[in-house]
Amino acid sequence: MAISVNKVYKTVLLILNKEQRGYMTPEEFNRIGTQVQREIFEKYFEDLNQYTRMPQTDVDYANRLMNLNEKMNIFKRDGNATYVPADNNFTLPTLTHIVGSVTYEAKSRLPVEMQRVDRGEFYNLRLSPLVTPSEQFPIYLFENNKLQVYPNTINTKANAGTANVAVQYIKVPDDINWAYTVGNLGQFIYNANTPPTVDFELHNSEFTELVLAILMYAGIVIRDPQIVQAASGQLQADRANQKQ
Amino acid sequence: MSLINQTNEEYYAGEKMFAVTAAPQTVFTCTFEPKLTLATSTEPANFDVQVSTDNGVTFNDYVAGTISVVNDNTVKPPYNQQTITLSVAVANSATTLVRVVLKAGALWNNYGSYEYVKLNDIVNNFLVAYTGIGKLIPLVKRTDVIFHAKRGLQEFSYDTLNSIKTLELDLPPSNSVIIPQDYVNYVRMSFVDNMGVLHPIYPANNLTTDPTSVPLQQKDGSFIQDEYGENTEAAQSTTRTRWESANDRLITGEFDEYFYNANVYNWSWRKETYGRRYGLDPVVSQGNGWFNIDRRRNVISFSSDLKGRIIILEYISDGLASDLDTKVPKMAEEAMYMHIAYSILAGRSGVQEYIVQRFKRDRSAQLRNTKIRLSNMKLSEMIQTMRGKSKWLKH
Repeated sequence: MAISVNKVYKTVLLILNKEQRGYMTPEEFNRIGTQVQREIFEKYFEDLNQYTRMPQTDVDYANRLMNLNEKMNIFKRDGNATYVPADNNFTLPTLTHIVGSVTYEAKSRLPVEMQRVDRGEFYNLRLSPLVTPSEQFPIYLFENNKLQVYPNTINTKANAGTANVAVQYIKVPDDINWAYTVGNLGQFIYNANTPPTVDFELHNSEFTELVLAILMYAGIVIRDPQIVQAASGQLQADRANQKQ
Repeated sequence: MSLINQTNEEYYAGEKMFAVTAAPQTVFTCTFEPKLTLATSTEPANFDVQVSTDNGVTFNDYVAGTISVVNDNTVKPPYNQQTITLSVAVANSATTLVRVVLKAGALWNNYGSYEYVKLNDIVNNFLVAYTGIGKLIPLVKRTDVIFHAKRGLQEFSYDTLNSIKTLELDLPPSNSVIIPQDYVNYVRMSFVDNMGVLHPIYPANNLTTDPTSVPLQQKDGSFIQDEYGENTEAAQSTTRTRWESANDRLITGEFDEYFYNANVYNWSWRKETYGRRYGLDPVVSQGNGWFNIDRRRNVISFSSDLKGRIIILEYISDGLASDLDTKVPKMAEEAMYMHIAYSILAGRSGVQEYIVQRFKRDRSAQLRNTKIRLSNMKLSEMIQTMRGKSKWLKH
């Protein structure tokens, strides 16, 4: 599903080099490519917010929300939070970018989604007999990248290894890398293995947007306003179309 | 997917039988509806494992080793599967049987369990069906749903659900019984006669009372304080003492040999009214006795003529005494959903009033349906009742 970094680089160079406009080094490409991937990736969250407020169609491939979810699925992960007895809280899996849902998973029981609460609720809920948290309906406080869960019996069970607190999260996209060796003439030769190439993790459907956005930055690098203008114009048209 | 998971044997007989003929066996799997629990420091086990070596003629409790049980609801959600593991295997033979059998309390709770849905399930079902993208409640906190579900159940318990609890009590010499742990309000008090027939007992509203405070007093009327500076209290109020020793016939107007009764003209009155009654008050003209709730000691006190009687105490609870495993009649399930939906929408800002009103009407209609359903009006029973009246119904 990933987009080949070599394919993108070659496409960018092809467009840039048209009429001998300029050149982009692999180092520049790697940095700009990582930046653009992050931009597109971060845009997903805003898009998701907008699409959830729009009526969607049931027709295959036309449901924007479903399409967006397909793009985001690449970054969705599930991992266990680690209990730290000294702090009496849980640390998140290493690659966590944004926490989705947190579940309490006791042995031989179906997972139960924990409710995220803020500090005020955390105090108030525990004081209310009707809604006081239980193992059937637990809560958690998310502060300083750590999870403080309630009721405390979950901590005890996690410590004993009879239960887990699992986190469903969005991971950070990896930095891309167009790996190369330098040839006899000083030219850059694509070498996928040393150091390992890292492809774009984005969905295949993002190829054109990826190329256009890189071109926009490339235009700035080589100081060619025509390329910046053309690429940004095309990008804007694409994005406007997505929001209609 | 079927909602019934346990077998007929597990439901009706409250047991599951295993033939241990091929090889020694340590693991036994059942699908009882209730969770199987081992004995703890606070409660006994709710099941037994028994072994028979004579093909089921006699069964003895398994004592060769220890028993462990895992209640697993991940196998076929939301049902339970129990895996019972014995530390020492049961030896196989052609006539060896092992049975897992529910104890009486668990068995009785299991009977009729299909009539109910758990409050926990109502919360989960509501979140699935009524909330989410594209629905009227796109986002709601689960704690809000739990709160409204529990409050709804409390309200329904008071006047809609058939959740009257009945206690049979021997009235002790103190003539009072402690208010039940999950008591919210009484429905009816009765004593039981020798034939088992109930005789209603009425509240002693205007006749007597149990004071909430009985301070000890000095001669000048001032209160006496203890070493902590608090008023001292008498062990029992004089009102209660007098009430307990009262002759109820003086209140009820029931005849006795001397006719010294309230509202009965005695022999010293003019001869033409001898023995006649005037001004009989129906509230007090009953010989079954009275009860009163003593809010000082939080006990239910009974009048002196009920000493030693068997008392039936019918009361309502709020349905929440046992947390989210609380059972709600299925006939009230839809009313519960509507109640939760209405309560959430009514308390939320920015919801158009017509939507709130729609849900208010839905809630009201569903509640009415539930009341009608649970009132158990059957045509044949109504016809039988009306046969004793002047109006005959044909069917």
